[in-house]
Amino acid sequence: MNWLVWRQYRTQGALALALLAAFTAVALWQGFQVASQWHSMVATCAGNSQCLRPGDLIRGVANGVPYLTLIVPVVLGALWGAPLVASELESRTSDFAWSQSVTRVRWLAVKAGWLLLAAAACGGVVAALVTWWSGPENAQLANAFISPQFDTQGIVPIGYAVFAMALGIAAGAVVRRTLPAIAVVFAGFIGLRYVIDGFIRPHLMAAVTTYFNVTGNFSPPGAAWVLNQGAVSPTGQAVSEVYGFWLYATLPASCQKLVPGGAPTKGASSSLNALYSCMQANGWREFVTYQPASRYWPFQGIETGIYLLLAAALIAVTFAIVRRRDA
Amino acid sequence: MSWVTWRQYRLQGTIAAAVLAAFAAVILVDGIEIAAHWHTLLVACAGSSACLQREPRPTLVNGVVSDLPYISLIVPAVLGMLWGAPLVANELETRTSDFAWAQSVTRARWLTAKAGWLLLAAAVCGGVISALTTWWSGPNNALQASAFQPGQFDTQGIVPIGYAVFAMALGIAAGTIARRTLPGIAVALGGFIGLRVVISDLLRPHYMPAVTTYYRLTSSFAPSGQAWVFSQGAVSKSGQVVAAGWGNVYSVLPATCQKLFNNVAPPSKSGNLAPLMSCMQANGWRGFVTYQPASRYWPFQGIETGIYLLLAAALIAVTFRIVRKRDA
Repeated sequence: MNWLVWRQYRTQGALALALLAAFTAVALWQGFQVASQWHSMVATCAGNSQCLRPGDLIRGVANGVPYLTLIVPVVLGALWGAPLVASELESRTSDFAWSQSVTRVRWLAVKAGWLLLAAAACGGVVAALVTWWSGPENAQLANAFISPQFDTQGIVPIGYAVFAMALGIAAGAVVRRTLPAIAVVFAGFIGLRYVIDGFIRPHLMAAVTTYFNVTGNFSPPGAAWVLNQGAVSPTGQAVSEVYGFWLYATLPASCQKLVPGGAPTKGASSSLNALYSCMQANGWREFVTYQPASRYWPFQGIETGIYLLLAAALIAVTFAIVRRRDA
Repeated sequence: MSWVTWRQYRLQGTIAAAVLAAFAAVILVDGIEIAAHWHTLLVACAGSSACLQREPRPTLVNGVVSDLPYISLIVPAVLGMLWGAPLVANELETRTSDFAWAQSVTRARWLTAKAGWLLLAAAVCGGVISALTTWWSGPNNALQASAFQPGQFDTQGIVPIGYAVFAMALGIAAGTIARRTLPGIAVALGGFIGLRVVISDLLRPHYMPAVTTYYRLTSSFAPSGQAWVFSQGAVSKSGQVVAAGWGNVYSVLPATCQKLFNNVAPPSKSGNLAPLMSCMQANGWRGFVTYQPASRYWPFQGIETGIYLLLAAALIAVTFRIVRKRDA
């Protein structure tokens, strides 16, 4: 069986290896450039974290490539996963494959097993490269927890890849035709990723809200994920705007007078101190709602777990269908 | 033939229409809210552009919805893969071409009708998505001056139509050449993404020679409107170019200026950087910005759309040659 899988997928495997090698070359080339620039900046700024902020790290031709890796799982699921069962049924080769001494369960276990392993390996290699490549940028911008960075680094890409492959295999077994199965993989993967990213991930653990004096300053330490920030009035009205334009209309008249030019911007000029003192005196506070940086790995773990569980469920469904279907 | 095409693609067409309708609903609801916010902002700032452009700029877009236009970047590839690639390849695989090509309708007419409708459908999908995204992005483009940036440029204006038509043509041609659907799909996806990356990263910045403006460090300069800035920073008297960012500039400054730098560390534009800037000015440093002016937005949109439409035409021509010559 292993040999059969190798024969069926050797072209695809060779293509995938070639693409991975090309990606590795680009990542290493760009990554070393970014790293050396980062080292010289760190040396110059001598540990002054404010000094490091405004610098531009190399954003060369390959800047968008890490985001492109978001599509790797769905491609594998559509091109390798969806045809696994569906193509055998369409071309009736299942008649032959399923009438051998190898049971259907073993046939599926070996084929799906190798493909899931290949997906995990692809996802893992790509994620490892992107994580290393993005290291300086993450350190500079403290953005590892923010959406496109979180999704392309750490261990979640492995979960995405395994899930997309399982979705492809299951869709092919359910729909029995390759092309609709590919459509299901694209829609299902992109749709689920979108829903989990946008609506579920922010609530995997209860967010922390810190209130602080308007005249003071606070920002969550490290690479925290800021979900919301703004000011809150004495009556509890929250304005989700950092230093804001939206804030202006809700301020008491005595404070509005102090807004230079009709709209305040924190830090733009020292004259704003009067405005902040006024807000403070009127009982306003500022707030930041965030997921602390220390939750990065728990979040990675939970999200990977969700996708792996879904993948397991899809594979179980596939086994149930393949065992029962008339050959 | 049009009727055959309709019968073959009515399910796909219905699904596409439903997805488009859902996208339109979300974008319209969110876009109206953004427009109202933007209006409030304009009133609050009373038309003062300095007021609007102070940092940090207010946020107009909702994070969850604002991902949708970026996700729509994949739409052309999906259409090309699922509709384009099987057009010829699937007929050959299932041998239905034996039947289709043995009718009174010539192969050329068969292909013209099917490919024509699909290319039209792709153009419509691309156009509708782009029109919605362009309208939705209007306030944010005005606030952030970002319409020319990669990501915005690619989802607005007329280029999405070019992408969609090209991806469909690529799918049709790839299926015809490979004679099998699955490899055709792989070629359509790989080719589309590869070409998009190469053109947007390597070719687009050079459609017209970029403009570089030098200015005095004691004053300031920013390209007007929604320009596409490639690089900015400072140039020394001897011509050494340093990209913006204090970590980069510090080490190459003369010692007299470095002292001033230390006085204001951590440096920020709003601090008293004036002495440092004067020192750099006195030592012959100038500021520079390299950019594509905002007025080139539509020429760039036109050039890029033209490139993709030309490539699409070439791919369709190849498909016609192959289909006409192939043994049934």
